[in-house]
Amino acid sequence: MVMLEIDRLRAGYTRAESVLKGLDFSMDEGEFIGVVGPNGSGKSTLLRAITNVLKFWSGDMRLKEEHITTLSREQIARSIAVVPQDTYISFPYSVGEVVLMGRNPYLSRFENYDKKDKKIAKRCMKMTSTLKFKDKRINELSGGEIQRVIVARALTQNPDLLLLDEATSHLDIGHKKDIMDTVKKLNENRGLSVISVHHNLNLAARYCEKILIMDDGMDHSFGAPEKVLTRSNIKAVYGIDAEIHRHPVDGNLYVTTLDERVNEEMKEKKVHVVCGGGSSSSLFKRLIEDGYEVTAGVLNVMDSDLEKAKNFDIRCVTEAPFSPISEESFEKNLKMIKEADVIVLTDFPIGEGNIKNLEAIKQGIKDQKLILIERKNIENRDYTEEGKGTKLYDEIIEEKKRRSDIQILKRPEEVLEYI
Amino acid sequence: MTHPLKKHYKTSLTAFALLTVATAIIALSLGSVSIPLRKIMEILLSRIPLLGDHFPSHPGAHSTIILDVRLPRIVLGIIAGIALSVSGASMQGVFKNPMASPFILGVSAGGVFGTAVGIFFGVWWPLLPLLAFIFAMGTTFTVFFLGRVRGHTDITTLLLAGLAMNFFMTALTSLILFLSEPEDMLGIVAWTYGSLSGTVWNDVWITLPVALIGSVAVYAYARDLNVMQTGETSAKQLGIEVEKTKVIQLIAASLLAAVVISFTGVIGFVGLIIPHAARLLVGPDHRKLIPISALLGGSFLIVCDTIARMSGEIWVGVITGLFGAPFFIYLLIKHRGETGW
Repeated sequence: MVMLEIDRLRAGYTRAESVLKGLDFSMDEGEFIGVVGPNGSGKSTLLRAITNVLKFWSGDMRLKEEHITTLSREQIARSIAVVPQDTYISFPYSVGEVVLMGRNPYLSRFENYDKKDKKIAKRCMKMTSTLKFKDKRINELSGGEIQRVIVARALTQNPDLLLLDEATSHLDIGHKKDIMDTVKKLNENRGLSVISVHHNLNLAARYCEKILIMDDGMDHSFGAPEKVLTRSNIKAVYGIDAEIHRHPVDGNLYVTTLDERVNEEMKEKKVHVVCGGGSSSSLFKRLIEDGYEVTAGVLNVMDSDLEKAKNFDIRCVTEAPFSPISEESFEKNLKMIKEADVIVLTDFPIGEGNIKNLEAIKQGIKDQKLILIERKNIENRDYTEEGKGTKLYDEIIEEKKRRSDIQILKRPEEVLEYI
Repeated sequence: MTHPLKKHYKTSLTAFALLTVATAIIALSLGSVSIPLRKIMEILLSRIPLLGDHFPSHPGAHSTIILDVRLPRIVLGIIAGIALSVSGASMQGVFKNPMASPFILGVSAGGVFGTAVGIFFGVWWPLLPLLAFIFAMGTTFTVFFLGRVRGHTDITTLLLAGLAMNFFMTALTSLILFLSEPEDMLGIVAWTYGSLSGTVWNDVWITLPVALIGSVAVYAYARDLNVMQTGETSAKQLGIEVEKTKVIQLIAASLLAAVVISFTGVIGFVGLIIPHAARLLVGPDHRKLIPISALLGGSFLIVCDTIARMSGEIWVGVITGLFGAPFFIYLLIKHRGETGW
């Protein structure tokens, strides 16, 4: 059954400017939806409109097939509960009193909380592990504890739909996880529908089945995290480059954002990185951030440098896992070296399998600038027979030194200064 | 120890009700003429239908002092104490601020100005309370109107509008004072400190129904006031009609204060301090806070007025301030550093 349906919703705070500019959205019962988007894209406004606290101007909104405008505040509060980012309570109510407020929409004017209300409140306090503070004054609790109390109060409303408005953004990692896990459990076990506004894309990706990306009061994209959280969507909405990968342990999507400092002049330059075994370190990130066109090779599949390169959509010459560089890969690598303006050679261990990388540089190098990173001496990482690797390396340096456009650096961080 | 009576609300309510009655009876016996308690009880009981036949009615001076002088004054004192305290509790709830008083929307400044105008123009004195009431509510509604922003009552705007109107009405009163004859001047000044002297039963019959309706209205929205302490948006999302609650609370609270000060003049401090004391005893839950405030306010004002009577009819507002301010400072010291008391 459809929980919430929104058609071309327009709403705002002043007549002059609308915040929601014709948003479409729909969710089924039992779904866990994440809402992300930059500041001012209308995420919180959407939640205010859903609870009819902010009256929308045009469009339509139906809660379980009923028009929201025909429902009273109490009727809405029996279906939808909200956990705001933070709550300030002006007088020292006890935790129990605050949680019981969740029963308000079920009481008539002179009715008092009865045993049943207290039982429900108690159950919700248990679920959020706040029962132990029941008689404590709310202003004696920490921010994380208060937020759990507010979650308990929201659950006491016995809602079908729970709205979290950046509910965990002020909390530390442990409390974030506690609250989101509790909500996730209720979603899975009791079919509680959830809409959760997040600033943190990773948290959204981790808990939500579907993600709505909002941009300028509109639904930019909506769907499963892996479909929606893409480099191009993030670039379009946030205007930044991001790295998207799967977490090696829990398999969740992870988004890392990078500073955007594109230098148009430098963008022309092509940088080819010859690396492997994790030696590229943060090089890819820095080069991409500064707007260079980056290529890399030859890298074996499963090499951590290859994983990094892929996260940045860097073109790479690849080779099968643990296999020596084939003639085909060698040619491709050589081509990239020839096309590049700058070659960066990192200090990866040289063996029989990858010595062809050095050969490619020796053959390909002409007028290109060469930057060597030497945190470790070549002798100490040469595993070829009779020091073939070292010999080749020295030859490259000798060759380049005559033309003087070579830099040998101790730290990869310095690379950008010398390009 | 915080909120020591929170868990014993019903017992406390009964105890405070008995305290109010006991204070009233003791107050009846005290004054320039001291009357024994037994005689007071007999005079009072003899006036109760059916039961009254069993008690001597003691006709004479004592009976007149008790029934026509002290009793109406004490009853009005209780009504005033209740009304001002309930009004204060309501204002503090709506403004989410323990510093709010019943006079925050300009009730007192308006009332004083109305009385000043009446005295200056020599209006027939029984009409003075009506004039005070009209100006008190007129000022309140002006503030209220100024505080409305696009169909929404904005608390900060309301507070500032109240401040401005208070200053403005006070300035107008000062202007009248400046132009007044010395004897009129004293009458106006006396009114700004409040007094229960000269109370007649008619004053009681007029204030009682208004105080009752106002207090019930405030109490009826007590739970809504609680939920509103967690923020207006949250309250709406918990099913509270926030705008309606604010309007009802503000009008009821202003009405309570206005009707009282129209008859007694401006009795300060009661409406500020009594809700505080009640909150310390039973906690901030308005469903408990309002009734306890009412009873505490009633007995506090009788005590203050009895002291006023016995100190040569000094203005009762002076006594509430003399007693109230040090008590307030004591609370401040005791709870300094605690948040949200």
